[in-house]
Amino acid sequence: MNLLNKISIWFIAIVLLVTPLSMYISYSNIKKRLDNVEIERLRSVNNYVAAQLKRGETPEKTSQGLPISIKPYTGSGIIPTNPEIIHTCLDNNGPSRNECKIQINTFVTAANKTYKISSYSYITSTEQIMKGMLTALLLKVLLITAIVFITARILSRYILKPFHHAIDNIHHFNIQKREPLQLLSTSTNEFKKLNEFLRLMTDKAIEDYTSVKEFSENASHEVQTPLAIIQSKVELLAETEINAKQAALLTDIQNSIDKLTRINRSLILLTKLNNQEFLTHEKLKFCRVEKETIHAYSDHIALKNITLNRHCEKDVYIKIHPALAEILLNNLLSNAIRHNVKNGNIEISLTHKFFRISNTGLPPDIPTQELFKRFKKSNQSTESIGLGLSIVKQICEVNTFPVHYDFSDGWHCITVYFDSTENHSLFTPTSYSTPAQEIENIKPSLNFAE
Amino acid sequence: MKILIIEDNKELAHSMTYYLEEEHYICECAYNYNEALERLSFNTYDCLLLDIMLPDGNGLNLLNHIKSEKINSGILIISAKDALDDKIKGLEKGADDYITKPFHLPELHARLRAVYRRKKMDGYNDVRFNEILLNTDTFEVFIHENRLDVTQKEFELLLYFLVNKNRVLSKQSIANHLWGDHTDNLANFDFVYQHVKNLRKKIAIAQGNDYVETIYGLGYKFNASKYNGS
Repeated sequence: MNLLNKISIWFIAIVLLVTPLSMYISYSNIKKRLDNVEIERLRSVNNYVAAQLKRGETPEKTSQGLPISIKPYTGSGIIPTNPEIIHTCLDNNGPSRNECKIQINTFVTAANKTYKISSYSYITSTEQIMKGMLTALLLKVLLITAIVFITARILSRYILKPFHHAIDNIHHFNIQKREPLQLLSTSTNEFKKLNEFLRLMTDKAIEDYTSVKEFSENASHEVQTPLAIIQSKVELLAETEINAKQAALLTDIQNSIDKLTRINRSLILLTKLNNQEFLTHEKLKFCRVEKETIHAYSDHIALKNITLNRHCEKDVYIKIHPALAEILLNNLLSNAIRHNVKNGNIEISLTHKFFRISNTGLPPDIPTQELFKRFKKSNQSTESIGLGLSIVKQICEVNTFPVHYDFSDGWHCITVYFDSTENHSLFTPTSYSTPAQEIENIKPSLNFAE
Repeated sequence: MKILIIEDNKELAHSMTYYLEEEHYICECAYNYNEALERLSFNTYDCLLLDIMLPDGNGLNLLNHIKSEKINSGILIISAKDALDDKIKGLEKGADDYITKPFHLPELHARLRAVYRRKKMDGYNDVRFNEILLNTDTFEVFIHENRLDVTQKEFELLLYFLVNKNRVLSKQSIANHLWGDHTDNLANFDFVYQHVKNLRKKIAIAQGNDYVETIYGLGYKFNASKYNGS
């Protein structure tokens, strides 16, 4: 239940509680007033008659349109000085059904005789007033409810606008873009506080994020120059007169520099991917890149005597930065080759919906999704630096391509879906029978045999 | 060939100078932006090695200067940043090639030669050594004027050897030259071995001399003086 409805319901509950109470108060007040007015009138009539009696005049049967009866007082004891008020609401039928009779008896002594002067009148019965008020009450409550709901909706749009705006902005807030939060100015204190808090929080987050980012970026770049120096010195050293022992040492140094260089490059690439430096709006002919990549690795495929099966649809255009497409495919294919067995197989299929690469290989030691993490390696082979798949994952995330890694029956299968909106099951059965397909079977073509 | 090395790191500049001077190039160094400007106004160079990040200015601005002054030197950018837009900007502003730190010195030399060939030797794309002739335009190899059937990788490998004659070329350097930066997560050394072996075999069949030597486990060397005596 949203805030608005909650407030409205509480408000209406209060109205429902207060209105009958106020109705009761006004009802009793009105009744009292009406009675009082009538009683006053009757009393003044009685007084007038009493004065007439005292003066010895004979009063008329009616006075001021009210019937009057004058009877000698027969009761014994003390004569009451105050007038007697009698309310009678008769439950009879007829014209006086909705009325109540109010009678005033005044006792007066004139010429040694005590008279009881009675006058009476009919007033509208309280039931009638009650009924009228109830109808009014119902209408009133209905009206209030309706107006509360309608105006709440209209007004809330105006009053809660800064709030909704802030919520929307936080929702779309992307720390990687490093844009400060834009909030609507408001005169509501609560929202002012909220906005101020949000602004402080996001500014601080951006600041921290930027400094961490800059640090890792700078660190990676700063490492490059010393690496270049070491690299060049080792190469110059290799040019001098050296013996086999020294050469072996230099080879080890070379290998380590090489690995360090690769790690550093990969980290820089990951940083850049995080920085969204590869945004593009153009579509790339993905199948062409894929073909080129396979071509680039034909040597490697041939050396391991791997059989590569390729099922590709034609004219597959994907929105991805060309450099990323190349790195993505390079990493996936080199991964499939490196972790393959000798005389193994690689299956590549490319459709408009997904790219899938499967290779034969040893079962992984750790859960397949874990392999996307940085520096996670299934078998700690020294050749691999353990960043290839995390780069793949990062590239897919940047382009919002879901990616899955499965292992079953000796096949490693990585699938990259190009459409993030579709619900992808882990294994979608596919048929490769559409005419616009290119089916190729690349057998080892280069002969590296002795 | 006269080269100006614009690099703020002296050790690296020295390495480059040392390597390139052995090729009998004339090398001069500028360690900052202003020094580079000064040297460019007094001398002409065939090639410039330009570090993008200089302590007192951006190397890209230097490119603007070079363009406006109509200095006709081949330009090879050296950068610690593997940034794509830097690369594109640099190439747009008139640089001829781009190399990322850390690099192998033979690779730097090969790139420099390629820039020089394109820029200075207008259209003359032959690289010749004794009986070996390479046409960098058509990717053809001739041994004793007979066309040798080589793959593209073998061609690149031979050219790399010819440019870096008498140099120790590590397997890493060759692998990096042949497969680039991003394919480097595979065991390329076996391929280097295979390619070198195939190339040597092909040249031998065409009755060319086998100049390539193996240097311990370190790498290979194209020994230009191997057959001088005979």
